[in-house]
Amino acid sequence: MHTVTNMMVEFSTACRQPVAMKKAPVTVLRLPRGPDPNSRGFDPNSPRFIALCPTSIPSSAGEGACIEEEQRSRSELRERFLRTLIKMSNKPVNFDMYEGVQVRAKFGASDIDVLNFQVSELQTPIGVQKEALLRCHDMISFSFDV
Amino acid sequence: MAMRQTPLTCSGHTRPVVDLAFSGITPYGYFLISACKDGKPMLRQGDTGDWIGTFLGHKGAVWGATLNKEATKAATAAADFSAKVWDAVTGEEVLTLAHKHIVKTVDFTQDSNSLLTAGNDKLLRIYDLNKPEAEPQEISGHTSAIKKALWCNNDQQILSAADDKTIRLWDKTSSEAVKTLTFDQAVSSMEYIPDGEILVITYGKTVAFYNAHSLDLIKTVDAPTSIHSASLHPDKDYFVAGGDDFKLYKYDYTTKEEMESYKGHFGPVHCVRFSPDGELYASGSEDGTLRLWQTAVGKTYGLWKCVLPEELASENSDAIYCPPEIKA
Repeated sequence: MHTVTNMMVEFSTACRQPVAMKKAPVTVLRLPRGPDPNSRGFDPNSPRFIALCPTSIPSSAGEGACIEEEQRSRSELRERFLRTLIKMSNKPVNFDMYEGVQVRAKFGASDIDVLNFQVSELQTPIGVQKEALLRCHDMISFSFDV
Repeated sequence: MAMRQTPLTCSGHTRPVVDLAFSGITPYGYFLISACKDGKPMLRQGDTGDWIGTFLGHKGAVWGATLNKEATKAATAAADFSAKVWDAVTGEEVLTLAHKHIVKTVDFTQDSNSLLTAGNDKLLRIYDLNKPEAEPQEISGHTSAIKKALWCNNDQQILSAADDKTIRLWDKTSSEAVKTLTFDQAVSSMEYIPDGEILVITYGKTVAFYNAHSLDLIKTVDAPTSIHSASLHPDKDYFVAGGDDFKLYKYDYTTKEEMESYKGHFGPVHCVRFSPDGELYASGSEDGTLRLWQTAVGKTYGLWKCVLPEELASENSDAIYCPPEIKA
């Protein structure tokens, strides 16, 4: 790495006329951290998160005992949902979407935030789409035969 | 020894950054939100530019974004005809407010209880965030799309800038326009400084400063290029501006003299704002990046480290990153 003095010497040797002193760039400790490609961030282990969201569960009641039971129920429901997604893999699924749209497709996978479903052989009124992403925000319900 | 500005580049967006806003100073520092045409507004730590999270949910370009003072809530305005309110700690979407057209601008009141929205439907809307299902208060009058709307005068009044080349001051209670400023070009940006009641407006190549109560002109400054956004330093000694020629300009507010200009962005600068402590300013560009610039170049702050020439030559220089020469 060039020191400030070396830079000035090289510069003035290259040009024979007297030159204005070249400014050194401000040094930085590191570059700003960029987004994590695998998550939407908001680290639950950050001091701010821990301080401001002791339980990130919006609980209907405020008491401690109820929160535990609610947490247990939520975990159970979440597990059931995830198992449903696993069971759905490679099966034909009917999707009821907004605007009265009903489509059928072979379910592939969901992304981590359940924002998009990857499907194949999507049957639409204008033909069969070999591969597609369905926006979960646009879905009302979906069903499949177990 | 004079030092050369090293901007810090925040990458992550994939399309032009069209709006940015800082929060106030909180016990955890201050924060920065960026609105982008890729539909994914991002929250960053204000003094370092470190990414904290991305607000996922909008289905179109996000045209406006703001944070409340405590950085606990965020609001965004998008081309999908909705404004959304988010929990800025967890990143969860809290509220979706459906509109009849593209929403361009959002602003919280000081107590975070109300949200002002406006956009291409030419209406100002005030939502009570404690009763979001209730119909918002609507204020009409502008004859074209509203580009920016801000609370002012202790949240009793509203300032709005629209493509009809007017800026109007409204009384919140009566929904009436109290004053109107007419220009012969569209206003490109507006910033309200509560401490001192100053309004910073940009149009064409001009940066203009007005009294936010009376809408009396304080002064105008002409820049070398079409300016898209400007921001006044909290101490009112400098202001910065950026626009079509990709550069950031720094001016002395008192003398109106251009002090410095900085290259760095690879596209027009769409937005620029000073941090709440005035130590840095952030710019958003067509090139999809945000850049952080030091107000006092060479000062140790955030990720910038003041290094004396002797230190650079010593063994301790390994921990310091020296940016590569950027060809001017």
